Amino acid sequence: MPTQRASYPWANTLQRGWRTLRVGYWLGWQIESNWTDPLLFFIYSIARPLGGVLILVFMYHVVARAGGTAMLGFFVVGAACWPFVVRGMMGTAYSLITDREHWKTLRYVYISPISLRAYLVGRALAQATSAVAAAAVTLIFGRWVLGVPMHLATINAPYTAAAFALGIASVIALGLLVVSAAVLISSEAWRMPEGVGAALYLVCGAIFPVTVLPPILQALSAAIPLTWWLEAMRRGLLGPAVVRSLPHLADGQVLVGLGLLTVLWVTAALAVFTLAERRARQLGILDRETMY
Amino acid sequence: MSDIAQARGIRRVVRATLGRAYPRIIGANRERSWLFYDTILPLLGTIAFVYVYKALGAPDRFVGYVIMGGATMAFWMNVMWNMAAQFYWDKQGGNLELYMVLPCGIVPILLGMSFGGFVGTLVRAVAIIVIGSVLFHVTYTITQLPLFLLIFGVGIIALYGLGVTFASVFLMWGREAWHMAELFMEPVFLASGFYFPVRALGFWVGMGTSIIPLTLALDAMRQLLFPESHPALLPVRVELTALVGLAVLFIFVARQSLRKMEYLARREGRLSLRF
Repeated sequence: MPTQRASYPWANTLQRGWRTLRVGYWLGWQIESNWTDPLLFFIYSIARPLGGVLILVFMYHVVARAGGTAMLGFFVVGAACWPFVVRGMMGTAYSLITDREHWKTLRYVYISPISLRAYLVGRALAQATSAVAAAAVTLIFGRWVLGVPMHLATINAPYTAAAFALGIASVIALGLLVVSAAVLISSEAWRMPEGVGAALYLVCGAIFPVTVLPPILQALSAAIPLTWWLEAMRRGLLGPAVVRSLPHLADGQVLVGLGLLTVLWVTAALAVFTLAERRARQLGILDRETMY
Repeated sequence: MSDIAQARGIRRVVRATLGRAYPRIIGANRERSWLFYDTILPLLGTIAFVYVYKALGAPDRFVGYVIMGGATMAFWMNVMWNMAAQFYWDKQGGNLELYMVLPCGIVPILLGMSFGGFVGTLVRAVAIIVIGSVLFHVTYTITQLPLFLLIFGVGIIALYGLGVTFASVFLMWGREAWHMAELFMEPVFLASGFYFPVRALGFWVGMGTSIIPLTLALDAMRQLLFPESHPALLPVRVELTALVGLAVLFIFVARQSLRKMEYLARREGRLSLRF
């Protein structure tokens, strides 16, 4: 209604953003999943993470050290959470790159009266949703096949839920930062998200505690919210019987640290994305293709 | 008519092969970012797995295992993304139609892709081994260098034979090709024992996964690198014989599969199916 729009322009903007996000989500989900039948899609979704965790399990067993399943729990939760980073962060970047170069629709999306941020967040959330099955199967496999001590009594559900929500927000923030770089480059754009993902895999304690890294990399990892997210998820799901990446901090401090870093990175991502988008528009390279 | 256009028989095959290999050996190195990513990406993953062993307090030889696995990964990624899925990219770029009407046929194109991909990847694999070994102070003592090189060579021939087989199958696919190439990453790293001795999977599982040439090649090369400590799947000479068998098998299957799939792809109109 015109009067409402005039009175609450922010509500109208929010409503439009929400609608864009939903449509972006739907579109992302269709692109992600409709290339095959649901069974094959499910197998495809779980094969890589499950393969990843089994590699770690066999590495653990060939070393055959005495002592509990604490390290196995560390591996399982890391392997379960990492697909959210791969799909959410790298997926956001690939959404933009494929729209630009593969589907060649970015220019039409850009000139339509929608928020590009909301559209990209919707696409990112669709990608993240496709990681849910992988995470669930990995955790169930860890609990029932590997015997990881993950019991309903020891899981801190509110803590885990809060950490998960903050983690997804930080993954999307990282995705927007990578997208900001992707709009300004062309030939490296396809490989760059993968490179960022591989670097994060190394420094964020995805599969080993960051305490074994050299001090300079430990300092770097502490500035990235994913390190705190993975640590919080492990503490929430595994309780006290867990190998820790941030051993000197209490559970509450880890969650607060994650919250602060998430706010910082989301703010930075929005600002950087705005600057990058403006710069790309000035240079006329928003829809530049690499003719890969 | 130019000299190239007049070439016939084996000369034409060799020229077409070298022509297709050229952009992979020379052209790819002009794009510095590719060189960087092709070397650094497997290296970062390799380093992450080295730290896993360090966190587990494993003996130093496991670091050597991981570095070898990382170098091997470069070859596997090359085979999956630049051999198997290459025709998918070529469909997108419009090159596949051109390949199909070439007078030399598709086989020299695939040979060129294999040769060029191998040479390009070899440089990257050596870089991974050198950088990884320097970073983590790993030394190797190869007991029988000629045998080591022979195993590596036969393993590579079998691997690229498998790549050509995949390429022919992927010829039928659109978007599935991308997803399938992704699917054959971690599960293959697991099945082939990229980061641990494949014997840890159990003897019969290891035998089953030996259909992937890298499984036997890695195990045999590790036996020569760590002769006293590596739990072997089979004796080295048996593995070498099996690799020769796999190489012959995959070359034969690749040729048959290519004919069949090319025919099917033409009949069903999938050669220009992009999405």
